[in-house]
Amino acid sequence: MADKPTARESLFELPFRILLTAALILSAVLPLVVFGAILLAARLDTDDRVVVPLLIALMVAAAFFGLLVAAVAVASLTKPLRRITAAVERVAAGESSPPIHLTGDDELARLAESHNRIAAEAQRRNRELGALLRAIAEYSPAQGVAALTARAASDACAIFGLIDAQLRLVDPATVPPAEVIPGDPRPVRAATRAGGETLGLLTGNLPATRSWERADQDLLDLFASEVGVALRNAELFGQIEKQNARLLELDAAKDEFLRGISHNLQTPLTSIRAYVDQLRSSSVEAAKDRRLQIVAEQADRLTRLVRQLLTVTRLEAGVLRPEVEVIALGLRVRRAWEALNAATVDFELRDLARGWLAVGDPDQLDQVLWALLDNALKYGGREGKIEVEVAADEATSRLHLTITDHGSGISAADRKRVFTRFTRGAAQTSGDGTGLGLYVSRQLLRKMGGELTLEPAGQGSGATFRITLPGEPPGDEG
Amino acid sequence: MIEPRAQRILLVDDDANLLVVLSEQLRDDGYDVETARDGQEALHRLEAGWPDLILLDLMMPKVDGLALARAIKAAADLPIIVLSAIDTADSKARLLDEVAEDYVSKPYHYPELRARIERVLRRLGDRIPRQSLVLGPNLTLDLHRKAATVGGTEVQLTPTESRLLYAMAASLGDTVATETLLARAWTDTEEADASYVWVSIRRLRQKIEVDPDKPVHLLTVRGLGYRLVPSRAENG
Repeated sequence: MADKPTARESLFELPFRILLTAALILSAVLPLVVFGAILLAARLDTDDRVVVPLLIALMVAAAFFGLLVAAVAVASLTKPLRRITAAVERVAAGESSPPIHLTGDDELARLAESHNRIAAEAQRRNRELGALLRAIAEYSPAQGVAALTARAASDACAIFGLIDAQLRLVDPATVPPAEVIPGDPRPVRAATRAGGETLGLLTGNLPATRSWERADQDLLDLFASEVGVALRNAELFGQIEKQNARLLELDAAKDEFLRGISHNLQTPLTSIRAYVDQLRSSSVEAAKDRRLQIVAEQADRLTRLVRQLLTVTRLEAGVLRPEVEVIALGLRVRRAWEALNAATVDFELRDLARGWLAVGDPDQLDQVLWALLDNALKYGGREGKIEVEVAADEATSRLHLTITDHGSGISAADRKRVFTRFTRGAAQTSGDGTGLGLYVSRQLLRKMGGELTLEPAGQGSGATFRITLPGEPPGDEG
Repeated sequence: MIEPRAQRILLVDDDANLLVVLSEQLRDDGYDVETARDGQEALHRLEAGWPDLILLDLMMPKVDGLALARAIKAAADLPIIVLSAIDTADSKARLLDEVAEDYVSKPYHYPELRARIERVLRRLGDRIPRQSLVLGPNLTLDLHRKAATVGGTEVQLTPTESRLLYAMAASLGDTVATETLLARAWTDTEEADASYVWVSIRRLRQKIEVDPDKPVHLLTVRGLGYRLVPSRAENG
């Protein structure tokens, strides 16, 4: 036996139908042939002319009958088998299969019944999987942990047909499994996990009539782990929301603080400025007093810085509104320069747009000019030369104003971030500005329909900033 | 300048330091100055007699500046210059337009403030009612709130534009000299010249004329100045 497994296997590998047919033919025909052969051998000497042909005819008839019986038997056996095979194949392919009804109580009928049960369960699990996927697709982190917990429990009931279900955020190890009592609802459970961490336990009860197999447990585990991921996301989302709210609060508090402190700085500044003005106008000596002039200058400087801070809070709050007027740009630059009291620095103003008027908010434009000229002074060095040019582009009706210093220029790394808040040139980290000048200037200009850009320049040749603003061509009386 | 009496200014601010120094500065320039620390005190002072101009801080205890300004404007067309921290103006910007002739932010520069005061006082004779001025089917001016209705659509006027229109509306139909317009709409400290008037009128026509190339309300009088006139449809 041991040396023949291949033969046996190859024998069983022959199509079942052929084997069966051969067996039936053999079982019907063989006895007749043997019987005929014995008779023929016994009567071989007799020349019976009747018996021999009769026997031969009988053998042929028997063989024919045997074939017929075999064909019918094979057909009646293989037809239900083919039906079952086709049905099993459909289920295997994931399709639904109508139940097979076979009469009788034999193995085939039982096989069909088993198949029907398996097919029904496969179909049920397919439905459950579909419902599961639809349910988890609707879980969103924004729903919050509490709502998701309640929802997952009710979804578990709906998907798996549980009588009741409960999702608790506890360690599953602390909850002993409930006992399975035949005839009572069957307890089921699955741990909710996310990223290797156990978050809670899903428990429920299944109707006693329902079966619960490995595949069902797998589905429940799948659902529980998806719920775990959703819960984890909701938890993180909640934390981020909280942090966001806190940051917004802090940001508002910062703005409020900045606004408050700048506002309160203005009151004493107003008095200082007014008293100095009055002192200087009260006598000739006081007017010439360099010390009083410095107090006035520094008060003005402080005023500009406070105003810059206030402008930032107003920009952030979105309340800034430019009050647009016509402005002679060249004159405005000259006045802004004079306000900075930097007479020792070589300053050149070329106005190539005489007669043109810029359109913008005069106060805000002053802030921009102060910031840019102050920067040019700071980074260009007090001994350097500052050049300003005003030019008109007639085609676009825009005025261009460039401010060039001859300092060390702006490094490639700094070029990218000079217009962001609280940024100062790397060379000048100890600078005395607010780090807001360029940011504020650009925002103000954009609100006026203008722009502020940094011109590309070679290293060491200083920096050139370009302001563009809407302009009006020279007017006449018409 | 021949004035029968010094012009009176009521200064309302809760900063005592400022009241002292600013009233001294104003008196040095020949103004008659009264002061009040809050809105209530200001109302008391007003009972005793009306000044020519009020300088008013918006942020004050008791009766706040805006309420006070409204009460004053409801009683009489008394010119008001708001003198306040720059951020105060934001939330009340549109309201300011209704109650104030001008706005000076603290810390102020005295020469600038004085120039604004002079500009406002200059038009004291030009009283026009605080109500809609209908100049034709396509133009209605509401200068008290710096607005105009042009062909059914409301447009906002800048302070300068409304000052220009105010000066011309005060002599409706008559020619107003370019120099006069310059003095009414700009301060001495602004170094404005005639081209400011020309360009501003051109921009104003874009706003208030249905066809800016064929103006019917804002007319040029060559070599002299400009006229604001009601449209022909209104006349005839």
